[in-house]
Amino acid sequence: MQNRDIRDLLGGIALIALGLFAAIHAQQYEIGELRRMGPGYFPTALGILLAILGVFIAIPALFREGTRIKIEWKSLFWVMLSIVVFAVFLDRLGLVITSISTVLASSMASDLTWRGRFILSGSVAVITYVIFGFGLGMLIPIWPWSP
Amino acid sequence: MDVLDSLLLGLESALQPGILLYCFFGVFLGTFIGVLPGIGPLAAISLLLPITYHIEPTAAIVMLAGVYYGAEYGGSTASILLNLPGTAANAVTCLDGHPMAKQGRAGVALFMTTIASLGGGLTGVMALILFSPIIVEIGLKFGPAEYFALMVLGLISASTLASGSPAKGMAMVVFGLLLGTVGTDVNSGIPRFDFGITEMMDGISLVGLAMGLFGISEIINSITLKRDKKITEKITMRSMMPTKKDAKDSALPIVRGAGIGSFFGSLPGTGAAIASFIAYAVEKRTAKDPTRFGKGAIEGISAPEAANNAAAQTAFIPTLTLGIPGSATMAIMLGALIIHGIQPGPLLMSEQPALFWGLIVSFLIGNIMLVILNIPLIGMWVSILNIPYRILYPAILLFIMMGVYSVNNNTFDIYVVALIGIVGYAMSLLRFEAAPLLLGFILGPLMEENLKRALLLSRGDMGTFIERPISMWLLIIAFAILAWSLFSAFRSSLRRRTVAKEQAKHG
Repeated sequence: MQNRDIRDLLGGIALIALGLFAAIHAQQYEIGELRRMGPGYFPTALGILLAILGVFIAIPALFREGTRIKIEWKSLFWVMLSIVVFAVFLDRLGLVITSISTVLASSMASDLTWRGRFILSGSVAVITYVIFGFGLGMLIPIWPWSP
Repeated sequence: MDVLDSLLLGLESALQPGILLYCFFGVFLGTFIGVLPGIGPLAAISLLLPITYHIEPTAAIVMLAGVYYGAEYGGSTASILLNLPGTAANAVTCLDGHPMAKQGRAGVALFMTTIASLGGGLTGVMALILFSPIIVEIGLKFGPAEYFALMVLGLISASTLASGSPAKGMAMVVFGLLLGTVGTDVNSGIPRFDFGITEMMDGISLVGLAMGLFGISEIINSITLKRDKKITEKITMRSMMPTKKDAKDSALPIVRGAGIGSFFGSLPGTGAAIASFIAYAVEKRTAKDPTRFGKGAIEGISAPEAANNAAAQTAFIPTLTLGIPGSATMAIMLGALIIHGIQPGPLLMSEQPALFWGLIVSFLIGNIMLVILNIPLIGMWVSILNIPYRILYPAILLFIMMGVYSVNNNTFDIYVVALIGIVGYAMSLLRFEAAPLLLGFILGPLMEENLKRALLLSRGDMGTFIERPISMWLLIIAFAILAWSLFSAFRSSLRRRTVAKEQAKHG
């Protein structure tokens, strides 16, 4: 099993699951008939179609060799963390601190030096403040104590 | 209204200082994004989408369009200097562009690709001016059945022609259509797939989807890519001047490339990338000495660059005249107009003439700006290529999030982007393409609406799609494309298997 085409196998199975889920979930909406389709008709049809396509993707993958999947865990982790940091901080700590922390977090994924990270986050924070806070006049808190 | 009057109206609209400024900003940013390998026009346009909420629709679409065709200009720079395509449509330019750079003729290559881009771009705009009114006439006769059939054709060709696996491409389209149904149904007012979350009632935001799928996953994929090549050569104006022979050898390829690009750009599913490949293949086939290709033949860069720019312009024909985008990039343009309550279609030209013709005239102005940006200022772009990615991506990531936040001033959308980003990264790991998904997402509501209406008119008779001749032919073409792509996918998998067996035998 190990050297099978794992990409299409996983992808196909995910699509089957997704399609079936959508089709079943759509049953709570009125299906209607061809002449007068209800809100459930189109999603049900699409869900079934997606599941069928998933089968066509997964089955041939069983008979085919594939290559291993290489996940960039480090990049994935730091990028996701920086997004969450942004979402959590922005309303509470304001634009400047959020920008610095977000850039610091995402820069952890690369081999930049600590010095480089601080210079980068500081300058990006200034640019962001100038563009969004000052230039576009967006209504966002700039500092933690701003209203 | 005759064409000249329309163009005058367009000129008046495009020459407003505000529009000119956004046009310049668009082509400037497009060149920037095009120059940088790894970020395509799709990501750049998604990045700018939030800004379009805050400016008037003509300026918004002029700017987004500028990013798109500007990227085709800038894209050849990295192809020539680094052998890395700036955008997918510039991949074929590497074949002869990089050998030219190795021979010390990088300047000439950069100059000729800009001129070829201008030739292609202007040809594309001419085609747009000449053919749009004709397509509008046809479009006005379309009923819901024809629209539905046209969307089926567009989605099938977009999902099967460009990607390796037709089943995977189509699955992505269907996934996109399904995501398009999330939110309140226009007909019944019932929220679908909202899972009780208030924010979901408005549907998945186009900005969030586009940013998550293209921005976030591209960044994750690019961080660890090593780009250690530094460009040391100086590109001077003198080194850019082509010889008489270069100019003569490029003239006809530019014309042919522009023609090929204009044609394929206007078709749904094929776009700038396919057009540039076909233009290259045609040059190689018609050349007296095809062995020169791959070793720095100037035809090998001028034809595809003319083709991709022509295609970038004619891609607007179906989007503006029928309201049916042929590619994901065009789908975002359509989305940007819909955000402003403008529904592109056959009525756009008569109802919004200032926007329609203003956009077209802005293409002419933008193309001229691009020549100025790309020839005298080439040194600036070359130095941008030397900025390490590890400095760029944290800033890009922050701007993505600021953009998403600014749409609704809401951090909920940021979490949505994170989630979609993970899905997008998983898709790229499993080699599922995101572009067909986005196309499906934007066409989804239109498709459901037209399907419903067509069947309402025919009292539930599915035969309506084949009884109406235009609809029948569109569907026949769609199924022919589907059958052909299934056949060729099957044939190539058979061939792979035989090769593997042969290797095992001799191995």
